[in-house]
Amino acid sequence: MMRSIRTALLLLFIFLVISLLVYSRIRAYSLAPTMKPEDFSRYAWYEIPIYYLWDYFSHAWICLLFAFTAAGLVYEFSPKEAVTKYMRSSKVLGYAIGACFAPLFTVCSCTMVPLFAGILYTGAGIGPAITFLLMAPAANILTILITGEFISWEIAGVRILASLITAILTGIIISKTPWGKAVEREHQIVQNLSGEGQAIEIVKPPLDERLISALKFGGYLAKQILPYFLMGLVAVSYVNAYLPQEIVESYLTGFMGILLASVIGGPLYTPTLVEVVLGRALLNLGMSKGALLSWLMGQPYDIPNMVAISRVVNWRVVLTYALIAWSCSVSFGLIYGLASGSL
Amino acid sequence: MKEIKVEVIGVDPPCMRCQAARKAVEKAAERLKANGITVHIEKANIMSKEVVKRYGALVSPAIAINGTVKIMGRVPSEDEIERLLREAAK
Repeated sequence: MMRSIRTALLLLFIFLVISLLVYSRIRAYSLAPTMKPEDFSRYAWYEIPIYYLWDYFSHAWICLLFAFTAAGLVYEFSPKEAVTKYMRSSKVLGYAIGACFAPLFTVCSCTMVPLFAGILYTGAGIGPAITFLLMAPAANILTILITGEFISWEIAGVRILASLITAILTGIIISKTPWGKAVEREHQIVQNLSGEGQAIEIVKPPLDERLISALKFGGYLAKQILPYFLMGLVAVSYVNAYLPQEIVESYLTGFMGILLASVIGGPLYTPTLVEVVLGRALLNLGMSKGALLSWLMGQPYDIPNMVAISRVVNWRVVLTYALIAWSCSVSFGLIYGLASGSL
Repeated sequence: MKEIKVEVIGVDPPCMRCQAARKAVEKAAERLKANGITVHIEKANIMSKEVVKRYGALVSPAIAINGTVKIMGRVPSEDEIERLLREAAK
């Protein structure tokens, strides 16, 4: 009895969050902040972050609430054991699972790196492991939702597609290099690949406990990400206020703009999601759409990520994947810039 | 006197969620002590080849009871662990 009441209440909450988002859609209420760069000139330097944050959260809270709830739910209900089980069964399947399921495992690098190692050790090969690794930060559900709502769904879609191609391409190329193969040989452990003797019997708790754990995980993500996100927003408000439009227009457009965006987008470690907000601010200030895509695609080769991975595979592999991912980011920026007429 | 072996499989150094999982196991074990069930808790590194060899690729944190992975990728509640441990003690 208690259990069904609790389940009902939790489902009601989730339903409410979803309908809030749908309602804001129907009413065409902007979920992204609406302040324009020129609005900032009215305020003193210490007022800028306050007004910006206010403007930001009065619009964005629905979207953030939805994004974190959705991330928690997707993570909890994603078939994690299926991923780890089928990953190693064949190369093609490995790539497919690496690319499609990575987005379900949200942002947390303390989950990503062990999983990368696990996939590598169990013999799925370095290719699918790299695909998984690159795809996860680039196209996880949180990032895509925020990109779609704050910038545009066109950019979000292009970001997924471009990241997908990049991740698979990088995986395939690395699996063909001599040092990639060496890592694969070094790490693969001899074991019965049939999976026999690997005792895994995941227990499924009742629905209400799963829902609670999903919401808890969403809350945990929020707690991890939001403090950095807030600091990032303060920085973004100053960019909005003080970075002259002419500078952005002259440096972040054209081919040079794409190069520059791709270089500062990733390796300068922008905490997750801040890259989206900062990207939007720069877009408003005149950055080209092509440069914006390169900017957003920089995430997979940021420095902390590379350092963490270099604990598992050698630096040669890390540099190779960073280089390939970077050239892809530049190429896709160019293609998208040309195609959308905003270079 | 029943004995159960529990492995908390996480990353090293432990992340927040792995620590939370370990704490839940410890508390559940404390409760079972009164019922004459002894729980041996071990910490295992998810990135060690030995663990991968036995269990395959896992999502952290994972919990194995008597050599079988029962939970992975989430932090269980104390009650849930207690339930699982009681079942294992039968």
